[in-house]
Amino acid sequence: MTTLKINGKQHTLNLEPETPLLWALRDTVGLTGTKYGCGIQQCGACTVLIGKRPVRSCGITVGEVAGKEITTIEGLSEDSKHPVQLAWVAEQVPQCGYCQSGQIMAAVSLLERKPNPTDQEIDRGMLNLCRCGTYSRVRKAIHRASDLLKEVS
Amino acid sequence: MKYTNMNRRTFLKVTTVAGGGLLVGCSFSSPKLMSTPQASEEELGLWVRISTDNKITLIVPASEMGQQAHTGQAMIVAEEMEADWNSIQVVHAPYHSEFKNSLADPRNIQITGGSSSISFWWGKLRQVGAGTREMLIEAAAKKWGVPVSECHARESQVLHSESGLSLTYGQLARAAAKLSPPDNPTLKSPDQYRFLGKSMPKLHTPARVNGTAQYGIDVRRPGMLFAAVQQSPVFGGQVKSYDEAAAKAVKGVEAVVPIPGRRFSFGSTGDGMAVVADTTWHAQKGLEALDVKFVGGDTLGLNRSKVSKKLSAALDDIGKVDVQSEKVLEVEYEMPFLHHAAMEPMNCTALVSDNSCEIWVPTQNQYACMEAAKEVTGFSEEQIRIHTMMMGGSFGRKQTRDYVEQALIISKFIQKPVQVIWSREEDTQHGTYRPTSMSRYQVGLGRDGLPVQWESQIAQPNLLAQLISPLGWFDFDPMAVAGGVHDYGLFPDHFYKVNGVGTDHTNVELGVPVGPWRAPPNSINVFYTESVVDELAELAGQDPLDYRIKLMSESPRHRAVLEQVAKQGGWGSTLPEGHGRGLAINDWFPLEEAVTVVAQMVEVSVSKRGKLKVHRVDCVIDCGFVVNPDSVKAQIEGSIIMGMSAALFEQITLEDGRVAQSNFDDYRIARMRDTPEINVSIVKSDSAPTGSGEPGTSPIVPAITNAIFAATGKRIRRLPIGRQKLV
Repeated sequence: MTTLKINGKQHTLNLEPETPLLWALRDTVGLTGTKYGCGIQQCGACTVLIGKRPVRSCGITVGEVAGKEITTIEGLSEDSKHPVQLAWVAEQVPQCGYCQSGQIMAAVSLLERKPNPTDQEIDRGMLNLCRCGTYSRVRKAIHRASDLLKEVS
Repeated sequence: MKYTNMNRRTFLKVTTVAGGGLLVGCSFSSPKLMSTPQASEEELGLWVRISTDNKITLIVPASEMGQQAHTGQAMIVAEEMEADWNSIQVVHAPYHSEFKNSLADPRNIQITGGSSSISFWWGKLRQVGAGTREMLIEAAAKKWGVPVSECHARESQVLHSESGLSLTYGQLARAAAKLSPPDNPTLKSPDQYRFLGKSMPKLHTPARVNGTAQYGIDVRRPGMLFAAVQQSPVFGGQVKSYDEAAAKAVKGVEAVVPIPGRRFSFGSTGDGMAVVADTTWHAQKGLEALDVKFVGGDTLGLNRSKVSKKLSAALDDIGKVDVQSEKVLEVEYEMPFLHHAAMEPMNCTALVSDNSCEIWVPTQNQYACMEAAKEVTGFSEEQIRIHTMMMGGSFGRKQTRDYVEQALIISKFIQKPVQVIWSREEDTQHGTYRPTSMSRYQVGLGRDGLPVQWESQIAQPNLLAQLISPLGWFDFDPMAVAGGVHDYGLFPDHFYKVNGVGTDHTNVELGVPVGPWRAPPNSINVFYTESVVDELAELAGQDPLDYRIKLMSESPRHRAVLEQVAKQGGWGSTLPEGHGRGLAINDWFPLEEAVTVVAQMVEVSVSKRGKLKVHRVDCVIDCGFVVNPDSVKAQIEGSIIMGMSAALFEQITLEDGRVAQSNFDDYRIARMRDTPEINVSIVKSDSAPTGSGEPGTSPIVPAITNAIFAATGKRIRRLPIGRQKLV
């Protein structure tokens, strides 16, 4: 038995501790917003937050994250109005959208660390892959979210 | 094929559904095809549903893979319908003869492709919308006892201006459903458009930013199991041995199922094994424990250099042509296999029961799914239901039936719902690759520097035959030559007017599955043509822009697009040292008369140590009337990134008969840090729409290599650019 704290809720799951968090989220907890893309921590489609840190959930086990605060795309906001989500809508970022949960979680974390990221910092901080090629809009949306976050605070 | 649907007689049929509401059926073939008196919400089979609470559901024929076809198609219907945009939702069409697309596939099947979701459906969807509107207005006029001419529709309401009366579409739905639909509804004129031509927010954006969008991989059914598969890494190979007991000893594993390979025109994908378990993770662990060993295969022993040698030998078989003129260009080019690498790996969920079958599948090709289901189950179409799921990217990959068959076979075996998910490694090693290709160009120039003889020879696997297998009997593949200058009279001439054209191509079958990769045949032939034209300009000592314009004497539309991009990007203006600019242009789809024209201009720099950077891309597109400018812009931005990624990094190679790459660590694709500044301009046009999903992908490739030549004098004739020495 493993207890995970996901989006503020406790889940007691009958899982081996070596189960990757990604599959626990998708197949056991039923949170499918976090996506499988590569399984080797290359693409970032499965990015979630552990505390405030962005983590590729395919490469971390439930044993390692038991008891820690896990945030998935579903838990980012109750009304889809997190400033990063609002910026994503304003810039109409998604094409197919499959990688965007991971992009958004990575951006949330980047903005925590760098509230005013330069383009170069975005290049270094956003390593998530997008095959549709939405990168220029992701960049614009991060700058916009940076402004929105300042208004909020 | 041309755009011809505007004036065809439309048969509209309406029917009420349980719970009240209006279904509008619209048949373009025969009125009797469209009778669904028992229609329920899930079995729409039609085009529009209006519920009594004024919610409007549009049943759209295109599969959604990120190209925003749903938004575009909904805009067309909603415009003519005078619907309130905020009360609209869209759903994927079911399998039905009404949803066939003859522009996307000459077999006239239910498929999404060829950048045709707007161009093919434009006329039909306008008629559906207009017919629905007219019925609702008529229903209101009857209720009020006033002439139809005194009523009008707006924002999902019918209004009578004189009396101030109004009724919502929801209130009118039941009455409208009893009326005879119009044969020839009146379409709105462009000056009356409220949505069309405006950048409407994409309908699926909200779901795509909060994790609720449902892709194929997100399907969950009661009692569903998960299957991991492993297919012979050598194409056409067989299973030699496996350890079933070890797999079944893994927690959660329920079954081990053999999956036969799929034959294609020139080989087979190879046999494989599936392990079924309660979670994806357990299925993957079970598959590891199964320790499958493979033997044999069609591609055994094939590697990168042997593939090159085969292509080269095929060109030698054609043989060089005698070209007599003062200046002659003779060059050879080579392009690799490419993988689609959609972020969502191949997956399909199926439930095969005793006398029915359901599949939930991210697919471009419902026809292929239906054929697979009929074949595996032996059922008739009436017993089979296909639920099209949103795709996490496709680019041409998700139109095969291999993964669908696997889900069906496994579900039939275990008699339970099952979701097959390919690992990224399976996805990478069992693609339908953009063909590898080699070409030889021999071009003689006259005194004025323009070609007097243009000989092209191309060797590559037959792409069309792998889509439509009987065509493999002919040693002819229009996909090998279209998109370039050619002398085939069967399809339109290239926009470059060139004298003395000779075209030859030969099919080289390697046993590797190939398929359409965003923008066939342009993804190959535009690199060749636009590189060669650039080389000719150099040989003739002329400016690459002026040279192209000279060849475009009979294509004013192309010339205008090219001149506009040159102006926008500042062609000819001074650049810093080590920088260079390149141009390229193409049209799409080159087998048709009505084409989209795209020109691109790229600025690159190459450092003294040979490091390449793409700084800026300018693009101009003329794709006829634009339904949603922001969607077109997004498609072009994405096409540029995908084409650039292919030019810079991507290749699938073989090692001992198997694909050498397996995941994103060795199949590198473009990232944020590779992304240049992109400026897209759309030509304003009142012509019929032609399509925008693919035509931006191809010209970026030669535009980059032409820019590298301008910066360094180094001509790239083999892709990807990769680590080739640039200085």
